[in-house]
Order: sequence, then C-alpha cells, then structure tokens
Amino acid sequence: MSEEIRIGVYVCHCGLNIAGVVNVKEVVEYAKTLPNVVVAKDYVFMCSAPGQAMIKEDIKEHKLNRVVVAACSPAMHEPTFRGVLGDAGLNPYLFEMANIREHCSWVHPDDKEAATEKAKELVRMAVAKARLLEPLEKIKSAVRPAVLVIGGGVAGLRATLDLVERGFDVYLVEKRSVLGGNAVKLGELAYTTLTGKDVVNSLVEKIKANPKAHIFLNSEVEKVDGSIGDFRVTVTRRLGEGKEEKIELNVGAIIVAIGYDPYEPAIGEYGYKTTDKVVTLFQLMDILSEEGPTKGELLIGGIRPKSLAFILCVGSLSTTPNAKPYCSRMCCSASLKTILKIKEKYPDIDVYVFYKDMRTYGKEEDLYWKAIENEVKFIRFDEAPSVKPRDKFVEVEAFDTTIQERIAIPVDAVVLANGMVPATDTEKIRIMLKIGCGADGFLKEAHLKLRPVEALTDGIFLAGVATGPKNIIESIASGSAAAAKAATIVTKEEIEVEPLIARVNEDMCSGCGICAALCPYEAITIEVKEDGKRISKVNSMLCKGCGTCAAACPSGAMQQSGFKDNQVMAQVVATFRGE
Amino acid sequence: MAEFKPKIVVFACNWCTYAALDLAGTSRMKYPANFRVIKVMCSGRVDPQFVLEAFKQGADGVIVAGCHPGDCHYVNGNMKTLRRMTMLKKMLEEMGIEKERFRLEWISAAEATKWVQVANEMVEQVKALGPLKPRLEVKE
Repeated sequence: MSEEIRIGVYVCHCGLNIAGVVNVKEVVEYAKTLPNVVVAKDYVFMCSAPGQAMIKEDIKEHKLNRVVVAACSPAMHEPTFRGVLGDAGLNPYLFEMANIREHCSWVHPDDKEAATEKAKELVRMAVAKARLLEPLEKIKSAVRPAVLVIGGGVAGLRATLDLVERGFDVYLVEKRSVLGGNAVKLGELAYTTLTGKDVVNSLVEKIKANPKAHIFLNSEVEKVDGSIGDFRVTVTRRLGEGKEEKIELNVGAIIVAIGYDPYEPAIGEYGYKTTDKVVTLFQLMDILSEEGPTKGELLIGGIRPKSLAFILCVGSLSTTPNAKPYCSRMCCSASLKTILKIKEKYPDIDVYVFYKDMRTYGKEEDLYWKAIENEVKFIRFDEAPSVKPRDKFVEVEAFDTTIQERIAIPVDAVVLANGMVPATDTEKIRIMLKIGCGADGFLKEAHLKLRPVEALTDGIFLAGVATGPKNIIESIASGSAAAAKAATIVTKEEIEVEPLIARVNEDMCSGCGICAALCPYEAITIEVKEDGKRISKVNSMLCKGCGTCAAACPSGAMQQSGFKDNQVMAQVVATFRGE
Repeated sequence: MAEFKPKIVVFACNWCTYAALDLAGTSRMKYPANFRVIKVMCSGRVDPQFVLEAFKQGADGVIVAGCHPGDCHYVNGNMKTLRRMTMLKKMLEEMGIEKERFRLEWISAAEATKWVQVANEMVEQVKALGPLKPRLEVKE
C-alpha cells in the first residue's frame, strides 16, 4: 500500500464509567507512541455531538485515514462511529473499536493498574488491526416486490391478506387441496360465536377477490436459492394422475407458516384406538360440526353419551413418556369451550375434566368459571390418569391431588385433549431455508423479544404455530406481524448488505473446493475457467460472513473482509508487543 | 520473583461469547484482567494457525469460544470449530503445550456467569502450570 497510514485514536471517559478505573490520559500518551498514530485524544463522551465533531475535524485536519475509538462495546456504538467516518468522507470500514468499558473498566474496578495496562494493550491491538483495514462498500441488491407464503393456515392466510392489501404480489403455497390448515377443524372459538371455518372462510374470500394473490394448492416448495430481496423458489404442484408441474417464483421475502400437527396419541395411550369410546378433541370437534359425520349430533361409538371425561394435556406437559414438555396453549380453552357448547345442547350430560394445570390464561379464565357454573367437575392429577375400557362404559382412574385420594369414574366416552407437535415438514423446511429450530423441534425466531417473527436468515419470517404452540388469536396476530416485517423489505427498491463477507484471490486459489464444502449457505461454487483452471466463486448475496471458509483455505486465497488473516494475526501479535 | 500474571488470548464469536463478555460488563461482574479478546464473527473463522501464533507470541493460554451447538448464528460454523479444535488439541499436546492451556467453550450471549467461571478456572489452571515453555522451537 503506497498511501501513508495515518491513524487517529480517541479514548472515551464515558463519564466515570471508564475514566473512574482506567487512567485515560496514560492510555492516550501510550497511543501516541504507536506506529502510524498521528493524533490521540480523550474526551468525556466520545459518542456525544462534540465528541463526534472532534473526530470529524481531526479526520480533515490531520488527513486521517484510519480511526480507532477506545470506548464501549462495538455492539453499542460501532455504527455511530462508522457514521462519523462516512460523514467526514472517509470509508466507514476504516474504523476499529477497542472495548475498554464492558471488557475492561466495568469488570476490573478493583485493579486500576491492571485495567489501565489492559486498556493500553486493547488500543494497541485495535491500532494494529486498523493499520491493515481496507475500504469496503456495502453490497446493494435489487428487491423483488413479491412475497412467498408457505402454508395456508390462518397465520399464512392473514399474512397473505395483509400483504396483498398493501399491493404486493403474494404466492401462497399450500400442500393440501384446501386452505385453512388445522383451524377449519376447530369448532366455536373463544370470545365469539364464529367457528374456525368461519374465520378461514372470511380470510379466503377476501384473498381470492384480490388479483395480487396467487394461490397454489397441492403444492410444495422444493428448492430455494438466492437471499434477502431476491429469492428464487421452485414449487412443485401435483396435478393428479401422478403428474406434476414445476413453478419458478422470484420473491423478495418469505413467510413460513407451516403450522403444526395435532399430537397423535399412541395406540393404547389413554385407551386410544383400543375402543371407539375414546376420541381426540379434534375428532370430537368434527363430530360436533354441522358438516361432520353425524351432522352435529353428539354420537361417540354409536351412542349418545350421558357422561364424558375430558383428559387434558394429552401429549403435553410431559404427562406420559411420549408427551412433549411444553404446554400446547389452546387445548384447555378449546376443551372448555367445547364442553360449554355440549352443555348448552345436552344439559343432562355429566362432564368430568381431568387436568394437570388449568391454563385458560388471559381472558379465557372466564371459560373456566362458566364451566364451574355449569357443574363441570374438575379433577386435578399429577400422574396421568389410566383409561380402562369396560363392557358398556369406560373407567377413568386417577389420583386426585385435591382430595388426596384415588378415584375411578365410569363414563360413556373419553375425550383426549391432544396438543400440538411440529408439522411433519418442519425439518425439511428448516434445512431448505437454513433456519434454526429449538430442542422441541419448532422453528426458532432470531430472538424472542428483540427480533420476534424473524428467522435467523435475513428475509425469512415465521408465523403461527411453526415457532411453537399458539392459540388461533396469537397465530393470526403473528401472521400480521410477519406480513408487516416482510413489507419492510419488499417496500424497498434496493437493500444494502454488510460487506464483511468472503472474497477469493483468484490467482492464489487452486479450486480445491474445501471452502465450498464447508459453507453453511452454499454461497461458494467451483467454476472452471476457459483455460481449465478451477477457482472458487463466492455469491456475495448468499455469503453471510461467518469466515469458516477463510479459516479452512489451505492457500490463503479465501479471505473474509474485515477479518482477513493478516488483520487477525496483527491483533494476535499486538497482544504481546508493539512494533 | 514477580508474581506470574498469565496472559490469555480469547477468540470470541460476535454473537454469543463476545456478547456474554459484554453482559458480564453491564452486569458489573468481576473476573481477572488476564484476558485479551479478539473478536471474530463466528468461531468458525478461527484458523488453528491463529491459536498457534498466539502461543508462539507468548500466550500462556488460549480460549476459543462460540455459540452452543445448534445455536450457531451461522447454522453450524461452531461444529466446524469443534472439528478443527479437537485436532488442534492433539497437535498442541504433541508440541509440548499442556492441554490445560487451551480451552474450547460454548458460551451463549446470556451466559456471562459461565464466562466468569471459565475465566477464573482458566487463570487458576494456567497459573498452576506457570509460564509456557514449549518443548519444540516454533520457527518462522
């Protein structure tokens, strides 16, 4: 590099946060002795307007071409100071930060000498790296103003409707032949007289009336390439008679709303499938539906029961060895709402509810008190009840923790309030889109509180039960949330991506392909040039800048901008000595 | 003789371990001042040569730390770190660098307490060994 390196070092007091422990003046004097440092200063709050102005003036006055700020964590103010460089006409990536607050003054308050020594070394390390920094430009990419929604349950439908109403093209891909997902199976919903099907129909009608909505039924996403702003998607649609067609789509963002599968009890679990007198809650809701097999008549195993036992937490709260550890959030309320409907139509039926924890949370508490008023009997258990089919009835036996006694209740039929498990396709989608999942198997948001509905992969959003149990209200709300988030991307014409990505020195690359095999994003391909030379190519829109390729490259041809071998090595060396 | 103050280099990933060290700071936890942290975006960026260079320059210990398996910000970069560092550990031992001088740790952004525990243990175990005296001369 022919240009003379001129570094400015700025040491922040952060009031007394740093200066109360670290001898800031000593750090400044030390910084002045480091090679290429032409100016070093301290200030009470470097991030304040006067602090920023000082750096800007110095960049011009001292012709600085690198800046080091020793202050808080870069997580806090790196963007601030990069902005300062940009404003002063210097490339924002010619900046390095030394973390002398979170990593130094705050954790070593009792040893001022050691803290000052450490701060000096952290500055020395930052200066060593700064010397080798190179200007970088943010990568710009055009955004396709369209969104792919995977899954046509309530969450996906709501997201679709919100986005088409904002004028975006939405491609809604549903695996089944009908829209609505599990919600269509739900009977009358809490707080309303609407059924799940009513809610679905109202959404579907509006979506179908909007020319921006493109619905693909019997279809599955097979392949997704590209990245935020420009995903290329291959969808396979089943046409019947074993025929398929492939559809290519190009979208700026993706919403994953693949829902859940109802927990399927094992054969014999609570007597399931050993007698026709044991049904799941979903089956019961189907029986009670006007369009169901009995046209809404309550008939279980051919008889109209005079007594019913509901067992809650089937498949949830670790009640049985097969059960999941989490609460499925909807089954308590859905069971009680169903019971109240039954009581309305058949007031003579005795209903017993075996529960582990009554989680009619929020306003749904009302359902619980209404059930009590309707003389529904609640029996609390710790250990799962046993269900024993007898000749003419079914016996449910449990240790009632309230009265501290074992009880056995004969009933005509048993309803298992089965919870939710991740949809069958979750793993396939997770791998295809490179999004994380938790130990429970549900997809994972980037951060539950700071980045809800966002997947860790940019441009991909998650809605509905795909990320974990939700009731229908929460699912619909998350559909709207995901749509709003996706809109923040597709409303832009162009997006900027961090340039801290991998780049290849083609002259040094031997095309061995180690990097390509390691890349978690398939961002690297091996190309054969006209002269037969194999070289590695990085797709800058796919690369997320982890640097695992650079760590493995045997020739040093693959480098990560901002974390090049020489830059990191300079920091390592500067940890121990100045130059 | 002056008290031995080991110097330990930490390669920390941006998303988990670096953030855990930040959290230790904001929570005003205390740990020994023996650590010099070098940030990388992913522990997968840590070339084993960085670790060797640190020992060559005079590090008494090195920690490579990243997100827990399954929690990597970059899908599975940390699993590649695990593979590389498992191999590196064997190499270090062959070079006469005691295994207590090198640690691979998974420390999430929330685990400031775990960092403090690892930091204290590391200083203790390295102090017990004394300064690094490599059996083999590492040549340029």
